[in-house]
Amino acid sequence: MSRGGKTSLKTKVGGFVSEVKTHWKTPAEGNYVPYKEYKDVVIGVGANYTGTKTLEYIGFWSSCFLIMHHYKLPYLTFSVIGLLNMPLGYVSALIWWYVCDNLGFLPKKTERKVYLAYGLMMAFGIASIIFDFSKVFDQSGSFITILNSFEGMNATACFKTFGTHFLYTGWVGARNIFWRKKLIPKYGRYKYSLYCDVIPKCVMVILIGWLPVYNIGDVATRVWVANLLFATYNVFGFGNVLEQCTKLISPNLQERILVRSYPVKLSHIFNSILAIILPAIVGMLRHEWADINFYRFVIPITFCISAACTMYLSGRIKERIPQPPIEKKVQIKFWDGMLGVLKNKYLLINTVVGLIDSLGNGMLPFATILYFYTFRLSGLPYSLLVALISFAGTPPDLLSPYFLKRFSYKQIMIFYQLSRAIGNAIIAVAMWTLGDNLVLCGTICVVVLFFMEMTKTVPTTAGHDMNIRIGDYQMYLSGERLESFAGIFGWFTGPITSFVGLIIPIFLLKYGFNSNWEILFFDGSRSNIVVVPIIVDAIGFFLMTIPYLFWDYDNKKQNMVMEVLKRRAEVTEQKAKEEGVSVAGVYKG
Amino acid sequence: MSKKEKKQNKVNDLQDTVKLDIPEDEIWTYQVPGLAAPHINKPYKHYNLKKAVFVLVIIVAVSLSMFFSVLALQNDTFEYNETSSGIEFSKFSNTGYLYELDIDYVCDIEYIAGNNDPNTNFKVVKDTAKPITSVRQFTLNCDDKIRTINIGANVEFVDTKAFYSCWALQNIEVDENNPNYCDVDGVLYNKDKTEILCYPCDHDEYLRQKYGYEKELFTEEITPEYQKDIQTYVVPSTVKKIGEMCFNYANLRVIYLPEGLETIETLSIFKLHERKNEWETTPSLTNIYSYKSDAVSDTRFTDEKALGEVYNSLPEGLLYIGSDAMSYNQALSYVYIPDSVTHIGHHAFWDTVYKEGDELKGVSCINVSKKEDEFDSTVETGQEWCPKYDHLLFKKTVDVVYSAERETK
Repeated sequence: MSRGGKTSLKTKVGGFVSEVKTHWKTPAEGNYVPYKEYKDVVIGVGANYTGTKTLEYIGFWSSCFLIMHHYKLPYLTFSVIGLLNMPLGYVSALIWWYVCDNLGFLPKKTERKVYLAYGLMMAFGIASIIFDFSKVFDQSGSFITILNSFEGMNATACFKTFGTHFLYTGWVGARNIFWRKKLIPKYGRYKYSLYCDVIPKCVMVILIGWLPVYNIGDVATRVWVANLLFATYNVFGFGNVLEQCTKLISPNLQERILVRSYPVKLSHIFNSILAIILPAIVGMLRHEWADINFYRFVIPITFCISAACTMYLSGRIKERIPQPPIEKKVQIKFWDGMLGVLKNKYLLINTVVGLIDSLGNGMLPFATILYFYTFRLSGLPYSLLVALISFAGTPPDLLSPYFLKRFSYKQIMIFYQLSRAIGNAIIAVAMWTLGDNLVLCGTICVVVLFFMEMTKTVPTTAGHDMNIRIGDYQMYLSGERLESFAGIFGWFTGPITSFVGLIIPIFLLKYGFNSNWEILFFDGSRSNIVVVPIIVDAIGFFLMTIPYLFWDYDNKKQNMVMEVLKRRAEVTEQKAKEEGVSVAGVYKG
Repeated sequence: MSKKEKKQNKVNDLQDTVKLDIPEDEIWTYQVPGLAAPHINKPYKHYNLKKAVFVLVIIVAVSLSMFFSVLALQNDTFEYNETSSGIEFSKFSNTGYLYELDIDYVCDIEYIAGNNDPNTNFKVVKDTAKPITSVRQFTLNCDDKIRTINIGANVEFVDTKAFYSCWALQNIEVDENNPNYCDVDGVLYNKDKTEILCYPCDHDEYLRQKYGYEKELFTEEITPEYQKDIQTYVVPSTVKKIGEMCFNYANLRVIYLPEGLETIETLSIFKLHERKNEWETTPSLTNIYSYKSDAVSDTRFTDEKALGEVYNSLPEGLLYIGSDAMSYNQALSYVYIPDSVTHIGHHAFWDTVYKEGDELKGVSCINVSKKEDEFDSTVETGQEWCPKYDHLLFKKTVDVVYSAERETK
């Protein structure tokens, strides 16, 4: 480098240091975020993100290590619980519509009505948990005998699980209204939840590890008690809200992009480090992932430290674009919104894709089986392999803009589905034919996983981009983006996916997989348990290419839609000006 | 148009500016070619009908889903298949109140109307015209209620994985007229006792009742007497093979193996454990001994004298050690592979060693009778057959001591 070059670099660095020092506490003119807050974003968002990632080790699902090694709940029981909770899910959504659709915000009288509804749900839930309502029914009748025949359940457990969902729904609903009203004015729409949830969440994380309810002998009792414990744990959230907050950190668009590009990205490094350290610590425990000390000490300590750092810094990360709370947003009438989204052909195609995708529901996590039951990985080798595979998606991410320009969405998505189908087929063949040769079979699987991770990034980016375009198209169709109404499709698909999602668990039960994951150490069973669902999944991916053949929303159409939207904005703004009405959110093109 | 031009056109597609001439009064109705027409500020045709159809579709969809899901999830208590060799018992789903299971004839549950006590409001009805001839793998899978299984005289085949993870299973009784199987004090064998097939997971509870122990003793409370009566098992001298998953999860500290034993199958001595306290379990198997006497039929350990000469670890004459045969037995401390072994499956001794501070505990080395080159050329070994321990954040295989002398007992 030339002398001039060195001087120039030195000057630039010096200038940057001086800029940071000058605007450490006070932002430069036109900016809103002092550099000190950048530092707070790095640590605060990092801690918050790490905390949320740590919580991913705790969950009421079969592949959670706590359930896998300690609770040992039957695999099909999760489907039974899903089935029991399904009708109430629709009822609770109806209440939420009642809140949103008719009112927009809650006047006193309605608020009381909603509280009453939630209160009654809680009362019924608590009563169901305390008393055994199943005894009201004829114990030799078909209703009770059907409930008794569910895997891992009996009539008593079914009623208590049903009651738990009532309690959960009522409790979450009532808390939601109460804390939003109390805390949103003070802390904003994102951060408020941290303030009301963090302490109970920490308590629950500790209790989950220390309450020895996993030792309850009777499986049906263990199921409903575990369901109650995890439902209580889920009442309190700890979302990645500080990162959400950075979306509103500055009204200056450039500054906002800067914050989200550097400090926020940098903050994720804490989790990346933890993702390597945590399994290494686990490797040092005597029983590794099966060691209860992981849930008694490692998880609570990690989470509580993350939570404390998050809370310490959350007050310093500010929302500078005020937004009304969700309740005060202008709402579209439910039926208009619903009929509006049903007209969107592309949402329908996505729904069909989702439906076909449900063929793979209920599959065991293949990577977990590969790492723990084929390779018997733990400690640092496990961390490194997981990190390597996760990294596979990063380089193609840099090439996303090229691929998005070069290929249409239809081509990218068809390639994506086919790559998954082929990848799964290769894994199935490898496991079927080389099952005994653990190293060769495992290596082929890892290479395929690496390839599949690599080919995932561009379609994911394309998908995000297309979702925005679908919103534009909805805006063209209905005059609104109707994003929240897109969930309506789930109402139709839910019943089908929940039924289709039973196929694989029932099949797995036939091949010996129930509540004891150690059957996967048995080579013959492992092949059957893994291979057949993978083949079903591969078929699903292949079929998923078909709906995309009908995808005809291209760049040209998008440009035309944007033209229409622009024109609408121009005309309405012009009219508003003529009428002397001020217009918010002027369209900038 | 050349390929290059086509490519360029595609790339430029997005940047192309489209100019649409939309009159002011058509901004809400203008239809982009190839897309649906907008529907804004206009009433929907048949609005109420559409609402009704929507609600109806949802109700029907949820109801149908619930109905079919319940059908799929609802299990018959007993499920059978007709096979060429007779009736196969394929699946058992406990009603929650069945503690004893007879596998002799096709059964069904009949409920007694009006009886509201779930423990007594049913009876098991047998169809004696339909004898069961075989029991499929995983017929009982993770059942936590059944304590006793009675196998009838007509059963010709029981898969070794038929009673997998039956946590409450204390004993298996076989009809003495059964020509294929028998039991020795609640443990399942083939008829000539050359193969031990299933040592029930909770057999220790049966033994406690039999020998008058009121409760299960935790690790620190275990007395030599208790260990001898409850946690020691002598495999009879006729046995040549320990079946797949035979002893898995049993509460045993010591197993005596006969010198005629040839095969230890996959997962057969897997993860033996005892209660450390009310809430935790800990590995229990501390020793495997072999004995020379060929006239041992009593599986209860009384005295080593009855077993003839007794020596440490696996018996001479053993040929085959299956995969995961002795995995997760961290209380075991000594393993000796005799000269006769020709196959050791993958992960055969996996996780039998661990580090406490700087000290290695468990199987800290594997002793092999053969010389290294002889072992390599004559013994087929699966991957990771030796245990591994934590070493500088990675795993290190324990040493294999070749040409080792068997440790004296």
